[in-house]
Parts: sequence; structure tokens; C-alpha cells
Amino acid sequence: MSNVATQVIDHFVSQVGAQAATWLQSCVHCGECAEACHFYEVTKDPRYTPAWKLEPFARAYRARKAPFAGVRRALGLAKEPDEAELNEWQELIYDSCTMCGRCTMVCPMGIDIASLVGLARKSMAANGIGPEDLFAVAEKSREVGSPLGVTPEKMEERIDWLSDEHEVDIPLNKEKAEVLLTISSIETMKYPQSIVAMAQVLNHAGIDWTFSTKGYEATNFGVLSGKADVAKVMIERIVAAAESVGAKTVIIPECGHAYGALRWTGAMMLGRPLPFEVFHITEYLAMLKRDGKLKLKPMDDAITYHDPCQISRRGGATEAAREVLDGFATGFREMSPTGNANWCCGGGGGVAAIQRATPLRLKVFEIKMKQVEDSGADIMVSACANCRQTLDGGKEHYKWDREIGSLVEIVADHLVKA
Amino acid sequence: MSFLEFTEGPLWYVALVVFSVGVAWNIIGILAMRVRGDSAVPRKSPVAGGIKAIFLHMAPHGGFFSRTAYHVIVGYLFHLGLFALLLFGSFHVAFIKEWTGLSWTPLPRWGFIIASEVAFAGLILMWIRRWTDPITRQISDRDDHIGTGLTMLAMLTGCFALGEASDGLRAVHMLSVELLMLYFPFSRLMHAFTFIFSRYFMGAAYGKRGYVP
Amino acid sequence: MSIRSFLLLLALVLGAAALPGPTLAAGEGATAGQVPGESLGNTSDADFWRAVREGQPQTISIPDREAAVLIQSEGENWRNIRNGPISTIGGWLLVGVIILVSLYFAIRGRIRITGGRSGKRIQRFTQMQRVGHWFVASMFILLGSSGLVLLYGRYGLPYLIGKDGFATLASASLQAHNLFGPLFIASIVVLFFTFVKGNWLSRDDIGWIAKLGGFFGGHASSRFYNFGEKNWFWMSMSLGLILSVSGIILDFPALLEDRYAQQLAHIGHAASALVFISVGLGHIYLGVFGVEGAVEGMTTGTVDANWAKDHHDLWYEEVMADEAAKAGGE
Ligand code: SF4
Ligand code: SF4
Repeated sequence: MSNVATQVIDHFVSQVGAQAATWLQSCVHCGECAEACHFYEVTKDPRYTPAWKLEPFARAYRARKAPFAGVRRALGLAKEPDEAELNEWQELIYDSCTMCGRCTMVCPMGIDIASLVGLARKSMAANGIGPEDLFAVAEKSREVGSPLGVTPEKMEERIDWLSDEHEVDIPLNKEKAEVLLTISSIETMKYPQSIVAMAQVLNHAGIDWTFSTKGYEATNFGVLSGKADVAKVMIERIVAAAESVGAKTVIIPECGHAYGALRWTGAMMLGRPLPFEVFHITEYLAMLKRDGKLKLKPMDDAITYHDPCQISRRGGATEAAREVLDGFATGFREMSPTGNANWCCGGGGGVAAIQRATPLRLKVFEIKMKQVEDSGADIMVSACANCRQTLDGGKEHYKWDREIGSLVEIVADHLVKA
Repeated sequence: MSFLEFTEGPLWYVALVVFSVGVAWNIIGILAMRVRGDSAVPRKSPVAGGIKAIFLHMAPHGGFFSRTAYHVIVGYLFHLGLFALLLFGSFHVAFIKEWTGLSWTPLPRWGFIIASEVAFAGLILMWIRRWTDPITRQISDRDDHIGTGLTMLAMLTGCFALGEASDGLRAVHMLSVELLMLYFPFSRLMHAFTFIFSRYFMGAAYGKRGYVP
Repeated sequence: MSIRSFLLLLALVLGAAALPGPTLAAGEGATAGQVPGESLGNTSDADFWRAVREGQPQTISIPDREAAVLIQSEGENWRNIRNGPISTIGGWLLVGVIILVSLYFAIRGRIRITGGRSGKRIQRFTQMQRVGHWFVASMFILLGSSGLVLLYGRYGLPYLIGKDGFATLASASLQAHNLFGPLFIASIVVLFFTFVKGNWLSRDDIGWIAKLGGFFGGHASSRFYNFGEKNWFWMSMSLGLILSVSGIILDFPALLEDRYAQQLAHIGHAASALVFISVGLGHIYLGVFGVEGAVEGMTTGTVDANWAKDHHDLWYEEVMADEAAKAGGE
């Protein structure tokens, strides 16, 4: 018998601490979590019940680590999953969980499924079980610095071009700066306008900031794919960059998982406290606005805001975007549900990078279309390039007539020129 | 030794010891595992988040009530009915007094009957859902059914003994309760204790980030 | 021996063997004109006892109204009916149904889905209906078995488990019966509302009756429910109503303070329960064993399309038409 399965299980149980143990053990199989998961919602397939996604891992825990595991093994009551089963489970651990945390809201036991899925991914990834394409993206970030192949040279080129094209000053590799701005490679490749927008806003507010080729990529596919070594490298690069320019503040661009990775797990991966404060761009904008540094022209389009899960529910920065929109976007309206209870876009947690998950993702978009239509909005902005990319994919597929945009971009478009 | 003496004597001690040592061992076993350190700068107090989660998850929130109403209502019927009859049934109060010296005012008989009916209705309705909802059919396993079955059995034999007509019925009830106690620490029934830690840990982790889901 | 021939044999044996017939209890232990017990004057005159049997209330000085009647002689009639016709006929009814069902199974076997399963599932019962159904079903089992112990236990169980054993079992059954009764009442109300739609009689039923439901070959068309199922629904509802009302009277004697009403309620309760259980056995047989694929509708909520075609073709066509309309609309 091969022992990939055993290695996965060994790895998994070695990661299980008190938190994960209570979560794995408290599940009463009530199935309520399915009611919260977008993958169940659009398929009604009970296999997508969040608790079920963890089934082999919960079983492995009972057989190997839980109190009385020995008794269970002795009585032959706990069957550990084998390799075939783990392979079959790829689809549930990777393709159909965006680690959005919505299921936790509804769970009577308060089980953090998303974190457990994260642990399961780490163990599977460490043993090569998982979607090839997601792994390839992760490896690429390790090798070239960015998941989409934005090498430092390419980054420089891109920034030169952007600052010329848009006549905006984009500082790169300044010797010293108070603020280090990072980017998401999705923006670099697909939504460069958003980089311009961030530069415009920061310049408008008179902030001393810079990009650094030492560490610019905020998107952390190491975390998404479960590759812990990659995750750590990505964090270390940003820390090195911030330390070299002496930045006390690091801004995460419009990317949800990047925020979670650096703001909430960065210190842990680094092994020491982060030597700077981390803000998501929406938080930073809210701060600037509060300090009177943002002068905005009113905007009256019918607009709504899609909460990226990792910024709102799992990030705690739900209010920031509202603060920015308040008073300025007069046509702003909420979807229902919204804020911390918002439905995920369907592409988070690396799912957007998994090709075979596309049909499932597109189905999830149906929820979003209905939500936006019910709200009567013509434009849906988000604060996550990954959400935006996923939503754009849905828009294109369904030939949907509403617009999808970015919060920073609309703010930049409405700056009062000094 | 009569059957009743056996179930109220040696077997009762065994069940009590296995139950209490088992539950304690289980909880200590979990808590002794490494608690993952988290050195991120908190936005809000993790402790407050943890405590909030314990209470928050007692009731549906975030707009989920309509979707989970069946389970919430039926779950509460069972649990409240069970606590009422377990702690306030006159036989149970007398039994507890005999063993601990502590006593309090029991429910009148009609109150006890209503509590039992509520508890039975809740338990049966939860079990039915387990068998008939595609989601719970998918995720339920042997442990779920054994746990529910033993609980049902203990309640049924309790109901049989309501007439207080014979030692036999009392002994059968004792026996079924002891079976339940012997099974408890090794099963998902442990959620009765672990839910507090589970919610707390989640609330602490999330609360630190600013929002407790 | 195949299971089918075994059951055939069993049915014959059961049918041939006499029931452990309850003996009629009329005038147990008394000889004509004899006064029971050690009372003075151990002969009596017929007129005196006739007057007592009239049951006319006389003047008394204690508050208990019932004590004014020296002997409530309807009690004797009640006892005779309960232990006589109710027990006997009911017993035969139960055994009869078991024999019939076994014979039917032996001859016809399990009714298979024509052409096997299609793999396509059609939604049949909602979650609410399934819950309502199984809740009533669990009450049916709990109340039915405890009730049967109370009615028939005395004829066999004391010999099997001893008098004390039976006394214990009877006490247990009585407690369970009383405890679950109110839950049954609540559940039957829910059942009415969740199942009444589609159970009204309609013209299609005539065809079904004419073909004897297809039980003896041939195909009988039907909509969501066939005539047999509709009957079962209305029967359960009316028997459920009688059981509920009489059950309440029996559980709370203080409500009516009328012994005669108690006796009537008791007889109604027992008689309707026996009919309910007998027909219920047939229902269980058809639902769980007799018809392949039927029980799934009540567990998972969905049935195989070929099953629907076989048993509820008109409904099947409606569902298909709906689906086509929906697909066309998109
Ligand atoms: S974290 Fe989100 S995607 Fe994953 S199982 Fe829960 S609800 Fe579904
Ligand atoms: S809601 Fe929570 S307790 Fe219920 S099945 Fe899902 S994870 Fe388990």
C-alpha cells in the first residue's frame, strides 16, 4: 500500500492543534452548513455540504489523533482514507471551497470549516495531491516572484509604461518611503488601470509611498494552494522590501486573500511580528477620507458593493468600503444579503485558478446576478481583483448587461483635481 | 443481588466512572494539544470574540433563520425538553438528592409530562430529518444513529417507568441510561461539552480580525 | 424452500390454526342466584337484583355523584363488548390482513419497476410531508404496539413472561400509550394539512376502481395519488379523529364525568385502532416491501421516473409537461 495517503494523514494530524481538534470533534452532522455554501446552493448536491468536504480528514483525526484514537483503532472502528479516496476528495477540498467562511456563520458549533479546509490543503499539497494548474501557479510565484509571471523586470516595464500612458507619477524603488504599496498580479496583467488608480489616490493625498521590486506581489498562492513554503517566501519578500525602504505601513491592493495572508497570518508564517502595519486599500482610503485627505466629486450611478469574503467576513474590514462610499456614491445600495453575510463570488481560495472548476464557478455567478438585479444596481464594484476577475468571467459567459468595476478606480475617477 | 441492585450498584458505578473519566480525558486530551500561536496585531479582543461566539451561536443570525428554522426549532424542543425532564423530573431530583444531598423543587407531574413530550417530539423529528434530508443522509454515520438511538432508548425506558409500578422498569431505565453514559465519551455526544471550546476558538480567531461570524 | 413458498405455508398454517380465542367472560365465576362472596343470605331474589341492574341513581349523602348508582351495569356490557366482539373480530381482522398480504406476496411477488430504473429522479414528497409522515408513523408504531399489549397481552403474555412480567409490561405500555397520545393528535393534524392536496376524489378514480387498481394485472392510471391511497388518507384521517377524541376522553376522565361516555370512548378507540392497524399493515407492506421503489419517495423525497410512469402515469405526464414548459421558457 502506498503511502502517500499515510503521509497526508501524518501531515494533517501533526498540524491539528486544540482549535482544529475541537472543530473536528464537535461537528454534530446537522448539515446546516450546506445552507450557507454557494456550491451547495447552486447545485443542491449534498456532496458539497461543507462538513462532508472534511469527512476523510475528520475520520483520520478520529483514527489517529483524537482522544481514544487507540481504542478506535484497536476495535477496527476507524478507517483511514486511502489514496484513491483522497484523490477523489480533491474536488471537494480544492474545487468547491473558496474558504469564504460563510458556513461558519450558520454552524451551531461554530466550526471554522475554512481553516480546516486550509489545513487539509496543506497536507494534500505537501504530498502532491491537488489540481495541477493551481500548483503550477503557486510554483511560478516562488520562481519568478508572481503567480502570473510578473518578474521584477516585467514589473518595472509595466510601471514605466503605465506612468507614461496615464501621466501619473508611480514611484518605484524609492530609497525611503513611509508607505510600501503592493500589487496583485491579476491587476498587473488584467486590470492595470487599478494600479494607476491607486497611484492617483495616494498622490492626491500627498502620501510618501513607493513600490519595490524586492517585494511587490501581494497575492499569495502559497496560502491558496496549501504550499506552506511558497506562502512563507511571498511574505518574506514583502517584509524585506518594507524593511529596505523603511516603510511603517504596507498597503494591500484590491485582493482579499492577500490581505488575509499578510494581515492575519503573515506574522505567524514569518515567525515574528510584522515590522509594519498592514492595511487593505479600502481601509487606507477610509482613513484618508476620515483625515480629510480625499476630496471627491459626488457620483450618482446606481452602484452596489460586493464584499470580498477575506476582507469582510474573514478580514473584519467590512465597514471600510462603506465608509469610502458613504456620502460620495449617492446611488449606493446594498445587495441582500450583504456585508459579513455576503455570498462569495465563487472564485476565491484559488478556485479561480482551477480550470476544471469553471462550470461550477459559473453556476455560482447566478446567485450574484440575481442579487445585483434585485438591488437594482447597474454597477457592482468590488475591492478584490480576484473577485472581479471571477465576476467578469461570469458576466462574459452569461452576456450579462451590468457593469463590474473596482472601488479604487471609481474613487480615483472622482478625485477633485487640485 | 437483584437486577435493580445491580443496575443501581456496580453497573452504576462503572458507568459513572467511565462517563466522568472519559469526558474529562477527552476534554483534557483536546486542550493539551498545541494551541496555534497567532502573533498578528489584533483589531479587536480575541477573548471578547470567543465569548461572543458562544452566545451568538445559540441562535441563528446573519439572516439564516428561515433556512435553518426546522433544525433550530426541533433542536431546541429536544434540548430544552431534555434538560427540563432530566434536572427537574421529581424522580431525577430524588435520585440526585440520594447521591449528592442536593435538591431543588421538581416540576409537577403535568410539567414533567409536557417536558417529556416536547423532548420526544424534538428527538424524533431530528432523527427523521437525519433519514429524510438528502444533506443529512449524506453526512450521517453510524455514530450519529447510535447516539440518537441510545438517547431515545433511555428516554423511552424512562417513560415506561413513569407508573413507578415495578423495580424491573426502573432497572431497565437505569440500564439504558448506563449504556448511554458508557457510550457518551467516545462519541459525537461529546458535543455537549466541546461546543463551548469549538465556538470559543472560532470566535477568538475571528474576533481578533474584527468580526465574529 | 424459497421465501415465497415459506410465506405461503405460513399463511396457510396461521389461517388454519384457531386463534388463541379469548373466552367470553359473561358471568365469570358466578352461578345463577348466587351472591358472590361471604355475604349474609347467600341466595337472592331475582326482583331485587333486577332493580339493582336498572342502575337508577338513589339518594346518597357523599358528593361523588357516581356513587349514587349501586351497580353500573352497562359496565358489564362494556366489558363483554371489549373482551368479546372487539377482541375477537379485531384479532381476526389483524390475522386476516397478515394472511392476505402474505398470500398476495406469495402469488404476485414484489412488484418490480417495468423496464428497470431509468436513473432519472422526480421530486415526489416535500421535506415537510416526509417529516409529517414519519412522525405519524413513529407514533403509529409506539401507540400501536403499546395498545396491542394492553388489549391482547392478557391472552398470551402472562404465560410467556409470567404474571409479574406482564404486569410490568402492561404498566410500561400504559405509560407510553398515554405519553405519546397527545403527540399523535398533533401529528395527525399536520399530516392532514400536508397531504390533503391531491387527495380529493376525482373522475380518474373510476377507471382505477374498474381495473381493481391493477392489483390483479393490467394497468390502472392515476394522478399523484390513486384511489387506494386516497382511501387510506381519508381513512387515517377519520380514524385518527375518532382515536384522538376518544383518547382525550379516556386520558382526562374528569372532562365529562360520565362513565357511559368513557365506555363508549373506549370501545370506539379500540375498534378504530384495530381497523387502523390492520389497514396500516397493508400500507406498510405496499410501501416498504411490495412495490419496488415506492419507499424512496418517502425517504429521499424523489422517485425513479419509471416508477412514476408505472404507478402514477397521469402525474408523471404532468411533471414532464411542466419540465418541458420550463425548459422552453428559458
Ligand atoms: S468556506 Fe465557503 S466555500 Fe468553503 S465550504 Fe464553507 S461556505 Fe462553502
Ligand atoms: S453546520 Fe457545523 S455542526 Fe452542522 S454539519 Fe455543518 S459543520 Fe457540522
